[in-house]
Amino acid sequence: MRRLPVYLLLDTSGSMYGEPIEAVKNGVQVLVSTLRSDPYALETAHLSIITFDSTAQQLTPLTEIASFQQPQIQASGCTVLGEALNLLAQKVDQEVTKTTAEKKGDWKPLVFIMTDGVPTDDIRHGLEEFRKRKFGMVVACAAGQGADTNVLKQITECVVSLDTADSATIKSFFKWVSASVSAGSMKVEEAGRDMGSLSELPPPPPEVNIVV
Amino acid sequence: MLAKYAISASEAETEDFIQWMLLNSWTNYQDHCMDQRTIIENEVNSLPLKISNAIKDKPYTSEPIQLPPIKTYGYQIEGIEELGLIPVIGADGIIYLQGTPTKAGDFTITIKYKYDGWIPGRPVLERKLPFAVNPNPRDLWKNIPTSQDVVYYKPDQDCEYVTVPTGADGSPRKDMVAASNRGRSHAQEGKPRDDHFQLLYCPENEWYIMAVADGAGSAKYSRKGSEVACRKAVEFCQSKLKDAQAFEAKIRAYQEAEDKEAAQKAISNDVYTLVGNAAFLAHKAINEVSKGMEGAKPKDFATTLMLAICKKFDFGWFIASYWVGDGAMAVYSKDANTIKLLGIPDEGEYSGQTRFLTMPEIFQDHVAISSRLRFHIVDDFTALMLMTDGVSDPMFGTDVNLNDIERWHRFWKTLQDGFPEDGIPGVVFADDREQTKYELLSWLDFWIPGEHDDRTIAILY
Repeated sequence: MRRLPVYLLLDTSGSMYGEPIEAVKNGVQVLVSTLRSDPYALETAHLSIITFDSTAQQLTPLTEIASFQQPQIQASGCTVLGEALNLLAQKVDQEVTKTTAEKKGDWKPLVFIMTDGVPTDDIRHGLEEFRKRKFGMVVACAAGQGADTNVLKQITECVVSLDTADSATIKSFFKWVSASVSAGSMKVEEAGRDMGSLSELPPPPPEVNIVV
Repeated sequence: MLAKYAISASEAETEDFIQWMLLNSWTNYQDHCMDQRTIIENEVNSLPLKISNAIKDKPYTSEPIQLPPIKTYGYQIEGIEELGLIPVIGADGIIYLQGTPTKAGDFTITIKYKYDGWIPGRPVLERKLPFAVNPNPRDLWKNIPTSQDVVYYKPDQDCEYVTVPTGADGSPRKDMVAASNRGRSHAQEGKPRDDHFQLLYCPENEWYIMAVADGAGSAKYSRKGSEVACRKAVEFCQSKLKDAQAFEAKIRAYQEAEDKEAAQKAISNDVYTLVGNAAFLAHKAINEVSKGMEGAKPKDFATTLMLAICKKFDFGWFIASYWVGDGAMAVYSKDANTIKLLGIPDEGEYSGQTRFLTMPEIFQDHVAISSRLRFHIVDDFTALMLMTDGVSDPMFGTDVNLNDIERWHRFWKTLQDGFPEDGIPGVVFADDREQTKYELLSWLDFWIPGEHDDRTIAILY
């Protein structure tokens, strides 16, 4: 079966401590619960969680929605976004099946990046590795005023921003992510092709602003 | 007693001292109990306990759940019986949750336990565990009938059996059966079926004609495109075959011809004018229909087409075909261990980039048309099969596998075995058997994750 890999890259640096990180944990929970009741996503979507603070780590390897279990997420340290991009590239190589003559591979991964700050490492190497891989859709979210949308624009043209990193706003971002994964799971199956542009996603809620 | 230790105290002092001592010791004792309780509670709470998610209606046994022995005992599990699960606690104190969940959702399971030092009447401790039960994926698919008011309405299912009675010499003759079922992805949203098929047997000249078409999911009137394609192509073949003595003579002549190449060329020309033209006229008929719908373009009717004509001669079967788009069309001979694909599925580098009958370039020149035509003379065969990608994708995976005879053996067996685990019976391919069409239709409802396209198959056997 052709899976739709979904990678969440979540900033778990110290600045996320408290309300924001609790909102992120809750967001992941809501995301998974919602996708479980969507027949397309339940069959097709697979989810991985990569967090980055002082190091980047994959808390949950690419896992089908039905088996997904909420990982422990904690906030502390700095913001190694570059390392996270590099880790993502490696994980895509290991986890995403390529198409061959005998077997249709996975759909191109969807990536959602969320950060509330400026990277504390040099992102060039990670960015370079990231750009060598093929992705279906990459959405980067600048949560609150501390994030730098210019850095995110180097990663993807689909950048959105949240005015504040409070629970209500983060929650609506995750709801939109979940609607996007649902739409993506259905689209790949119905149209038989990968997702490619922001216009194919459901319109974001008012709290989520598209950065042009 | 104080006197024994040479302490002289008044009665009042003694009383006060005893009270002071008891209260102090009691507080100490309480602290001690609390510490003991807290140490155990912390130990239990820090255990990395996780149990895997269950699926509604599917038997489930959790991973073993083990709390520290001796320090904890007297387990009680709350919050699972209403889900249809029961706790199984072994003599070794290891807990399992077992049963078949009856409810889907996110739940919390509470394990209550007594601890070393617990005294009756005191509250017990508890550890909570999140537990998720996935819905049965099949419960999530809705089957919303297509509104009959939709333009170009067609029924969500169709099936047909064409009985060709036993010949004058008493030998059984091949029959045709076809079924077409709307995909779950369409049923989920009450959208119409885009596939179509048509079968025709011409008793006067013993030709079989079969057509299967898959309307493009992205084209809004493709259900009409597939219907027009099948109808027009079959209609044209029928009318031309009424007067096909010359064509049949060429087919016979080919058997004895010394110059095979010339004889082959002669047949090719006729196949071109007959089958090639049928496809072209189907293309034109769709263009005409599109003009009748305001604001529509032919590409709104985009469809694939597989068309085959077939007749039995003394020396074997003659089969000619036209194929544009994805899916599969092949002659399968089980005993001879052969599979002959009647063309090349038009799948681009990426899945879904197929070609359609409605594209003008398909008919741009002689070469473009000829490349989609085939003719074969074969010995008797098990089945001539035409199917849309809703069947061939889940059954074969990729186009390369369509050339693999083992895959076809497996497919033919799957047709006859059905899917017992899903309660879908197999199809019985016996002569003159009308009910085969219902079996084939119900077979098309097989469950494969991620495969919910419209499914259509036509079989001559």
